Amino acid sequence: MNPTRHYNATSSLERKLTGIRNLHSWLLSAPSLIWLVLFFTLPYLIIIIYSLLVPDIYEVKFVFSLNAYKEILSGTYFKPIFLALRLALMTTLLCLLLGYPVAYFIARSQEKIKNILIVLIIIPFWTNFIIRIFSWRIFLSSHGVMNEVLLGLNLISQPLEIIRTDWAVIIVMVYVYLPYMILPLYSVIEKLDFTLLDAANDLGASDRTAFFRITLPLSREGIFAGSLLVFIPALGAYIVPQLMGNQNSLYIGQIITYKIKNIPRNWPIASALSLLILVCIAVILLAGFYIYQKRRIRKVDEAR
Amino acid sequence: MKPDKMYRRMNLTIFTLVMVFLYIPILILIIFSFNDSKIVAGWQGFTLKYYLKLFKDEQIKLAFQHTMLIALTSTLVSTVLGVLAALGLENKRFSGRRVMNALIYIPLIMPDILMGVSLALMFSFLQVGTGMATVFIAHVTFCLSYTVIVISSRLADFDYSLVEAAMDLGAKPWPIFWKIKFPLMIPGIVAAALLAFTLSIDDFIITFFTSGRGFNTLPIYVEGAIRRGSITTINALSTLMVCFTLFLVIATKRVRKFLLG
Repeated sequence: MNPTRHYNATSSLERKLTGIRNLHSWLLSAPSLIWLVLFFTLPYLIIIIYSLLVPDIYEVKFVFSLNAYKEILSGTYFKPIFLALRLALMTTLLCLLLGYPVAYFIARSQEKIKNILIVLIIIPFWTNFIIRIFSWRIFLSSHGVMNEVLLGLNLISQPLEIIRTDWAVIIVMVYVYLPYMILPLYSVIEKLDFTLLDAANDLGASDRTAFFRITLPLSREGIFAGSLLVFIPALGAYIVPQLMGNQNSLYIGQIITYKIKNIPRNWPIASALSLLILVCIAVILLAGFYIYQKRRIRKVDEAR
Repeated sequence: MKPDKMYRRMNLTIFTLVMVFLYIPILILIIFSFNDSKIVAGWQGFTLKYYLKLFKDEQIKLAFQHTMLIALTSTLVSTVLGVLAALGLENKRFSGRRVMNALIYIPLIMPDILMGVSLALMFSFLQVGTGMATVFIAHVTFCLSYTVIVISSRLADFDYSLVEAAMDLGAKPWPIFWKIKFPLMIPGIVAAALLAFTLSIDDFIITFFTSGRGFNTLPIYVEGAIRRGSITTINALSTLMVCFTLFLVIATKRVRKFLLG
């Protein structure tokens, strides 16, 4: 397919061409490569340096210290870390439970309306993040729309105090991240060979058995991708807990932001906590990659 | 009967509920932007006064200008870099492929807060004052991954027999690029640019960390207004922003249809 095919008369010429093309690729990639090294990779090195310094009210003192790490190990920040992990887990599970049927429904719809349904899922996701969270505040607040409607219908006698609880945070997190779960699930389910289900049915399997033994295992990759796309960003959540939660249960993202922005600042702690999130993510990704590799090896073995 | 027919009704129910879940907040926002009441609860009658107030507000005007300036410049730079990188990555035997792919895919999955914190600390370390320039750098950084991926994925479908045919007919590399390849890349480039643009106007967290006190974009202004409790014009502003995004979505579809024939 590539243009070098025309020159396969002499292999040395071909090798030379490959070399030139490689050089071209380097030159074309160089601007992005340099940009990402300077503004994505390098800042992480700066975080490592800052985590090893002494805090000052405004910035840092350039004196080596392991205090930030000692403070983390002493347990002061266990609660925010636990809350963030719980939030990420709950969000991922709820997104999966809601997202799977939706993705399945869209994937099994008629070709014509599939695209429309997908666009319907994406549109809210294209409207401003802060604004969507703000409208949830209007909806859930104690004199908000939901409570007015429920009170009006006599379904409740007291306004439900959902806003400023961890539940409000979870509801809005699910709202924000749902499309990230639905889209990868949809792209996998859509490619499934549904005649397998007919075959299972003909052989006497119940719908339920067919679902758990065929559909679900075959959509594993979508579940995996969607869960990563929800879980990892959710670990660092700041603005949703800030606008929906209360100040008695602070999440790790809020602590980091406060330590960076609010005086007295503590940049070493903020850096060390950021690195902790980074380590969590690395562990999750490596575990995922390991499981994926193992499954592939097993598949190859079975094929033999 | 299809084996999954039984689940179809259940899925339809969940789908409908999710749709309600996704759209209720936006509908409420639009309805309340016309509500003649200082607090958010209860309907007090129709008004357009918040829209009028919005157009008179100098701070909002300035934040809007900042948002647009940052979005346009960072879209331009990230799209140009994206086109170049996508062309470089097209070569399957490129020895830097793995490094590039890692650098492009990892930023996608990182929580925004980490990019914000790390950039903020680096700018402080280098003694760079935060403001428009730092926000621009940050926006290009998070848009770049998306533009490279979108343009690359479109290039993957490129029909190389067109290039081979042109070469057989004696065309030189540059005319081949400009007359054949580039025109066919345009739909991908437009899609990438629009994605970068929407990501840029939508970003809060990374801008929050990399902008100084004096430099507000619209999301930053909105968050500040929510915090201060001055929320009357926000509904109107939000409604306009929702309309703007909808306009962008429809425009994208139209442009793509136009370009693809």
